[in-house]
Amino acid sequence: MHVELKDITKTFGTLRANDSLTLSFAEGRIYALLGENGAGKSTLMKILSGYQPPDSGTIFIDGRAVTFQTPADALQCGIGMLHQDPLDVPNLTVLDNFMLGRREGLLPKRKAARQALTAHATRLGFEIDPFRYVDSLTIGERQQLEIVRLLSLGARLLILDEPTTGISAEQKHMLFSALKRLAAEEGMTVILVSHKLEDVAALCQEVYVLRGGKLVGHRHMPTPIDELVTLMFGQSLPRPTRGAHNLGAEILRAESVSLTARRLTVRDLSLSVRSGEVIGLAGLDGSGQSDFLRACAGLQPLNGGRILIAGVPIHGKGYAELLRMGVAYAPSGRLEEGLVDGLTLSEHFALTTNNGLWINWRAANALAARQIARYNIRGAPHSPIQTLSGGNQQRTLIALLPENLRLLLLEDPTRGLDVESTAWVWQQLLARRDQGAAILFTSPDLDEIVTYSDRVLVFCEGRATLVEDLDDSARNPAERLGELIGGKRT
Amino acid sequence: MSQAAKLRGTLLTFGAALSAALALIALIMLSLDKAPLAAAQRFLEGAIGTPSARADVIMAALPMLLCAAGLLLTFTAGLWNIGVEGQVTMGAIFATIIARTIPRDVSDWGALAALILPAELLLAMLGGALWAGLVALLKIRGGINEIFGGVALNFISVNILLSLVNGPWRVGTFPQTAPFAPAALLPRQADLRLSPLGIAIALIAFAVVFMALRGTRFGLQLRAIGRNAKSAGILGVRVERNIFWALVVCGALAGLAGAFQVLFTRGRLLPNISGGIGFMGVLIVLLTGVRAAWVLPVTLFIATVPIGSLKLATSLDSAVQIDAALGNVFQSALVLAVLIGGGIRARLAARRKERAEHG
Repeated sequence: MHVELKDITKTFGTLRANDSLTLSFAEGRIYALLGENGAGKSTLMKILSGYQPPDSGTIFIDGRAVTFQTPADALQCGIGMLHQDPLDVPNLTVLDNFMLGRREGLLPKRKAARQALTAHATRLGFEIDPFRYVDSLTIGERQQLEIVRLLSLGARLLILDEPTTGISAEQKHMLFSALKRLAAEEGMTVILVSHKLEDVAALCQEVYVLRGGKLVGHRHMPTPIDELVTLMFGQSLPRPTRGAHNLGAEILRAESVSLTARRLTVRDLSLSVRSGEVIGLAGLDGSGQSDFLRACAGLQPLNGGRILIAGVPIHGKGYAELLRMGVAYAPSGRLEEGLVDGLTLSEHFALTTNNGLWINWRAANALAARQIARYNIRGAPHSPIQTLSGGNQQRTLIALLPENLRLLLLEDPTRGLDVESTAWVWQQLLARRDQGAAILFTSPDLDEIVTYSDRVLVFCEGRATLVEDLDDSARNPAERLGELIGGKRT
Repeated sequence: MSQAAKLRGTLLTFGAALSAALALIALIMLSLDKAPLAAAQRFLEGAIGTPSARADVIMAALPMLLCAAGLLLTFTAGLWNIGVEGQVTMGAIFATIIARTIPRDVSDWGALAALILPAELLLAMLGGALWAGLVALLKIRGGINEIFGGVALNFISVNILLSLVNGPWRVGTFPQTAPFAPAALLPRQADLRLSPLGIAIALIAFAVVFMALRGTRFGLQLRAIGRNAKSAGILGVRVERNIFWALVVCGALAGLAGAFQVLFTRGRLLPNISGGIGFMGVLIVLLTGVRAAWVLPVTLFIATVPIGSLKLATSLDSAVQIDAALGNVFQSALVLAVLIGGGIRARLAARRKERAEHG
């Protein structure tokens, strides 16, 4: 199967995520799609796998133009995508998950499915027990299940989005050899989306490099790593140096905290944060870092231990109360939990000013106008919040944070933002830090964590490990964190 | 979209829905060999043709208006207060606690006589608020959806009512109390069945709710909770506290409506005292799409239905005589048609927007 993307363009608001991209993927070859965060890799792969349509441009399969309404359409044409966080149903068995999405009428044929599952798995050298529950599998095993499922549904082109984050070295080796065999023996086309150059060097035959939504390079491997880095970043970026700032009194203290995250329980977490400090929370999605943030905001109960804000235990206090104590939480889902779809900017500002029975609309409008100017928000006081772009919604969320905060809890504060907005957001946050606020934030982007954190708390398999000496080590800090996240001890 | 275009769209939707509901009624009547046009004329005469008919419509509208006003608060906060029926019933029961003890002659009570009515109304509001407060506590502390809590409490309130009128409060052969003394009732005009005081109370209650939704922090917080409770909480709104008060105020207003039923409409406590006015309030708020400004005219419109269809039911002309239940069919069909019309409009708007963005 030969797949061509021609002149694919996709814009989000003013951001050109994909700018007239033309790429070609031949049968039986393994490609890498390289680029830093926000380069447009995910957007392009979502278009190719049917999750979103392009604004313009065409996808050709063996010379025939195709359009996908849904991921199922793409899969019917043989294009399957393996997501970074595998899209499976955790409380079903492996076999049930495998059977999801098969079109075989009312009564599924469990026995035939089990045989197909085992056959595909054996062919790839995977060992998967059909009757185990998915939530007891490791990320690596869930990936294997997903690959087997996509193959059985007829995938001829596999897209893998950052597949080596969070799997063991052995699983990575197994994955890579299976992919190579699929390509060589069965003509499978493989696209690896990654920013890990060693993975690209180990697996891929050709490399496409994206930067700022544009295709900036197409190379055949082997290509020197330096050349790829230069293509990805334009020029090698120096790591920003952190200005010295003073640490104040202890703001947050966690004492042997135990809490339940989506898939696991985090135990025995202890941490002390002083004013003026920035702590990055790293870990795979769902390892407990977001849950810890929510617990600090009084939004999630603890199983054990306690959390103190400026020496006061927060047990039994709601978020509204903590907010008055100078603690603010900003979730990553802006319109899901943070802003109210359907209310205007003025109404949002009116909600956050707490005084009096009647709303002083003139004052609320004035406050909105002032904050719009100060935070450079593209919108008017009477604009409904959902009409703003993601970047402007994020600006609004930050503009809504009260003054004189002591502790800021931020879940992925730059999610979906372009480079400029990201820089702006951090400028605002660091200004808060310089005024004496402590910041805890999560991010899936290790570079962001390394850049802005004074210390990093790494969440992995129910443990939280504090990394204090980011700069001291001779090794690349992001790489070190990546290994900790993946469960490798250093 | 401009305000005028929006209004035009709303009126158009409502007109289409009304036509659809009327067509359905006409079809039902034709299938029963009745004359729809003659019946419609008879209905209009019966509902708004005479001063006394108009007074009946207004008085029938008052308890519905009270329920609808309360439900505006709960619907704004995204709560389905189905328990409103039980809250009406408890209001009626609590008002009866005082009303049944008032003697026919209170001439020697002096100034105390002036306190009878306020005491009845306050107690009724307390009864409704208590019942709604239970729904709120079940939801907030017990995590029980307000619909389930409300349905359960509706059943309980009906059974409390039945056990009272069959037991200790029963007077005579039927399960009901004795007629209340005039001093216990809402004062009414001699010639028309009209109570200016009742009208004033209902309008003031509605105006207070209207202004609360428009200009107060409470109203804005309820709107934020209704649209996205999680986000509201992150913005510092005390979600649970606001939910509690929205339900309790709604319950108090429903209790007041229950008091209207015993102190004006029926003049005694009897089974099915609410007569479904709580649910009628739900229908009204749904019909208006939770827009307070529309509640008053829609309530008046809805109130013509039971009055008019009662006239049809009691008509001697067999070409138009039909059971009053048809009125309920009409109301429900209208609500469904309006909801469907709203859905169609939203879909058309989305399509128009998409086309505007891509072309």
